[in-house]
Parts: sequence; structure tokens; C-alpha cells
Amino acid sequence: MRNWIEKQRYIIDFTISSLLRRKVKNFGLLALYTLIVFILASTMFFTYAIKKEASLILKGAPEIVVQKIVAGRHDLFPASYIETIKSIRGVASVESRLWGYYYDSLVSANYTLLTPPSSDAAKPSAKTTVVESESGGQSARPLYELNGAVLEPGTLIIGNGVARLRNIGKDDYMPFRAFDGKVMNFRIAGVLSSQSELVSSDLMLITGEDFRKLFGIDQSHVTDLTVAVNNPSEVEMVASKIKKHLPDARPIIRDEILRTYDSIFNWRGGMMIVIFSAAVLAFVIFAWDKASGLSAGERREIGILKAVGWETSDVIQMKFWEGAVVSLTAFFSGVILAYVHVFFTGSIVFEPALKGWSSLYPNFELTPFVNLEQLTTLFFLTVVPYTVATIVPIWRAATIDPDSAMRFTGE
Amino acid sequence: MIELVNVKKVFNAGNPSEFSALNSVNLRIAENQVTVLKGPSGSGKTTLLSIVGCMSRPSAGRVKLQGREITSLPERFLTDIRRKTFGFIFQQPNLIKGISVLDNVMLPAYPLGEKRSHLKIKAMNGLSELNIANKAASKVEWLSGGEAQRASIVRALINDPHIIIADEPTAHLDTKLSYRFMEIIEKFKAEGKTVIITSHDPLVYESSMVDRVVNLRDGQIEG
Repeated sequence: MRNWIEKQRYIIDFTISSLLRRKVKNFGLLALYTLIVFILASTMFFTYAIKKEASLILKGAPEIVVQKIVAGRHDLFPASYIETIKSIRGVASVESRLWGYYYDSLVSANYTLLTPPSSDAAKPSAKTTVVESESGGQSARPLYELNGAVLEPGTLIIGNGVARLRNIGKDDYMPFRAFDGKVMNFRIAGVLSSQSELVSSDLMLITGEDFRKLFGIDQSHVTDLTVAVNNPSEVEMVASKIKKHLPDARPIIRDEILRTYDSIFNWRGGMMIVIFSAAVLAFVIFAWDKASGLSAGERREIGILKAVGWETSDVIQMKFWEGAVVSLTAFFSGVILAYVHVFFTGSIVFEPALKGWSSLYPNFELTPFVNLEQLTTLFFLTVVPYTVATIVPIWRAATIDPDSAMRFTGE
Repeated sequence: MIELVNVKKVFNAGNPSEFSALNSVNLRIAENQVTVLKGPSGSGKTTLLSIVGCMSRPSAGRVKLQGREITSLPERFLTDIRRKTFGFIFQQPNLIKGISVLDNVMLPAYPLGEKRSHLKIKAMNGLSELNIANKAASKVEWLSGGEAQRASIVRALINDPHIIIADEPTAHLDTKLSYRFMEIIEKFKAEGKTVIITSHDPLVYESSMVDRVVNLRDGQIEG
């Protein structure tokens, strides 16, 4: 047993020295290999973590959102519908919402203006008010956090992205052009916490009264409704009842929003992989050639080793370790670099493609979520093919007669 | 004792380029003697030596080592015999570039899994005996021709083989180094080892320490 262990040590030592002897080739290969793993792992880490993050945040979202649809287009929601929905069995509470998009031509950005539920904005003593729906589970993230700011008529609380883009902060003023062309000036009462920036980057909180003045909405209308349901298993049933009672209403359940987020980031991640698939293919061809081909020097070396008493299996083992050392080093370096890139540097390399194309990039740090299944897939798609490719020379090495070493006439 | 019975070796059999390197060779090589296989280029010396040293198999005939038929043994058994019984000195030193002299010398012992400290002592002793211990840590490409040849001799001896096989060992050595090589061979003989050398260098086959000269021509033994 000791001899066997010692033999393995000798073979590994020789493999490492053999790798170092072909420094340029092997380091070049390692660098390229690491880069490919880095790109794939970065995309994987990012899309998985952002989906996870979004789903955690959306856990706190209302179970059902009800909008009004006119000829397939979103329209203002009549406040009179509220009572109809409240009367549906299984509905715990109904709350109206006022929100809308405002295009700021100065910076070419779209803001989301939202009137927070009256109970949240009216807490002057709150240091941080976490706005969550009642159904939010323990692991749910808040939709936004008010850092002790008090929302009063004539004021706004803005998201971090808006603050950065307009270079404004607390007590600054921000002008808006209302629906009737009049200019409305709002004082910034505060900036939202950066923790929820993934969804609150472009958000602006405004009082209901100001919102109605800005968008020209009368008291008999709201933007949409949120509906809380007593029993989570009845959500779909309640949604279908709403649709039955109010044919022009469109109930959107939380799971549908989650699915949309999932497909958006899957699509972006997939697109990144498609773009880089050409690079991956080029690498596969390069790696296959390098791994499976034996140079004249290597053939000569194998001939010498066999002539001095190495078995074919020893040579195979050495080649296997060569492949394993290169591919495992590349895999782990690539994965570690990708982890640092995504979770510590905010994916600086792929930021625009993965986060979205917009003037208002959310500036947030992702919580590290790693999917083991994806990592295993990446492992089997990178390490295994390369290592197998290095095994191919086994058959070639096996065909080299040890006496070929005797017939070399030149060094 | 090594015995070859009716040994034939054909290369590229069945092809238009078929070439018969050895034709019905019968030979007995005695133990503890220095035997020289002599002949012009293409006479089959190296082919015969590679068959004797278990590096290749004959196309026909039998090879016996200490009375044991080895021709039909599987490759790993042949490798084992080769590793433990034979030490090879090639025409070229055939050292692996990029690693030290010491590592090169220890290479044949790696598959045996001997303890590194013991192996190192053995290798250093071998290098000292041939006066190249000071080059142990040097890379082989920095060695002179004579030093490289001596390093390859130490490598051939690392597993303490009973039989030394040398293929045209003086082909790339000057006269002084060739004499030095023959002195080393004399030492092997004194230690009771069997030495088989292929050569067409008179300095080798006319040497007084050579016990037997076998003449080869066109794949056959003369006389």
C-alpha cells in the first residue's frame, strides 16, 4: 500500500513538473479555460441570484392585483368596484393603489410614482418603515424602506437610482410637468433605503392628493387594487370570481409576476450564453486539439518513459492527472472569480446586458445564492469533457513501442 | 542466460514495404559476460537488442530468460521484467529535458514506489561513482555529451538490473569518453553483471574485456 501511495506521488510530481515544462502552452490554455468558466459561471450566478432576490422581494407583494382593461389596454380603475370585490367570499382586504410612470425628458428616464398605503406614510416617528403586504412570509423582503422620512403634501421620497441620476438629495426640489401643462415643484423629503434598490431604484413616493393633481385623476378612480386572500389555496378561485363579477377587470396573481421575472432573467442569461457560445465552441476545439494531440516531444517522452520501465497505465495516469490538474484549476479559479465578480463587484463586466438596458440602473449588491445543480452541470460540461479528451492519447501512447526510444537519432 | 530460438522480426507485414529485420536468429548469451553484437547499419543489431531487452516482440520464434519463455507474456509482465532485469543505455542519452539530472536518473524507479529518501541516496551514489554528483540539480540540457551519457548510465543502473543493454553507446562519444565508457563496462563485468552491447566501433568490439563478438549481417548471424 505504501509503495502504491509513493508511486502515485511520483506520478503526480512528474505530472506537475511536466505541466511546468510546457509553461506557455499550459498557462495559455489555463487562462482561456478559466475565462470560459468565468463567463458561464458569472451568467449563472447572476441570473440565479437575481431571480432568487426578485422572488424574495415579490413574496411581499400583494396576492392579487386587479386592473381594469378597456379593449385590452390598462385603464383607470373605478373606485366603485372596490365594494364588489370586498363582497367576494375569501377576500380578506382590498386596498386601492395610485401609481404611474412619469417620463423625464431631461435625463431620458422613466420614473415609477407610487402612493404608499396611508398607514405607512403617516408614521412620523418611524425610523425605518418597512412596507410589506400582510401575506408576506418571514423570508420576504420589503418592497421599499422609508428611512425615517415623512411624506407630506408637496414632497416626494425618491429611490436611489433617481437620486443618483438627477444628483439630488433631501430638501432639494424637483419640478414636474402635470397633465394640464402646469409645473409642479416637489421637495425631496427623503431617499429610500438602498437595500431594496433592485425594485425601488426608479421609485418615487408621492401623496395621493399630489398624485391626482399631477396625473389628472379624479377621486372616483384609482390605478388598481390589491387584494389579500385569507386562504392561499383560494387565490386562483378568488381571481376567477373577480373576473366573473367584473368582466372588464384583470386580476394578476403573484405567481404570474414571479414567472414573468423568471423568464425575463432566464432570457437575459440565455442570451449571454448564446453570445458566448461561439467563444465556448472555439475553446472546445482548441482544448480538444491540445488535449488529445501529442506533440513529437511528448511522443518521444512517452517512448523514453516506456523504455525505462513505465507501464502504459502509468503513462495514462500521468496524462489523466495532467488533464485533471488543468481543468480543475480552471474550473475552481473560474468559479471563484465569477463569485467575486457577481457578488462583490456587482457584475461590472456584464452589468448592462444582465440588468437591463435603461438610464436607471439599479445599483444593488446581490445576496450570494448559488445553485449546486447548476454548478454541477457546469462541472460536467467543462471538466469532464476536457479530462476525457486527455485520455484519448492513452490509446496513442499505448501504440508507442518502447523500442522507439532506442531509434531516436536526434535530441 | 538468454536464449533466442529461431527469432524472426518482420516490419510492416503484409504491406508492400514489408521488411524482414531478423531471419531465424538462434543465439545464447551467457551470464556475467560482455557480448558485442557487431554489424553494419541495417544488419538488425538494434532490433535484436530490443527483442532481448523485452522492448518488442519477435514476429516468430521464442525468447527465454533464465530458462523462462517470455515471448508470450502480456505487456505488463514484460514491462515488469524489463524494469527489474534490464538497464538500458541508448545511442542518444534520451534524457527528459526540463527536469534535473537527479529526477531523470530516478525516473525508472518511480513505478516501483520506492521511498523517495532511499531512492535519492541510491541515485546520488550512482552519480558520485560516475563523477557527476555536482550536476545532480542541473537541468539535463546544460550537460556536455559525456555527462549526459554518464547520467543515462546511472539511470540504467537505478533499479540495480542484472543485465545491461547498450545500443551503440560510443557512437556520439569522442575517443577519450569512449575509453571512459569501456572502463565503466569493465566495472559492471567485475560486479557480475551481464552486458550486451551493439556496436560497429572497433574500440568496443576489440576491447580485451569483451568475451564474445556476434557478427550480424542482413538479419542473420554470421559464422
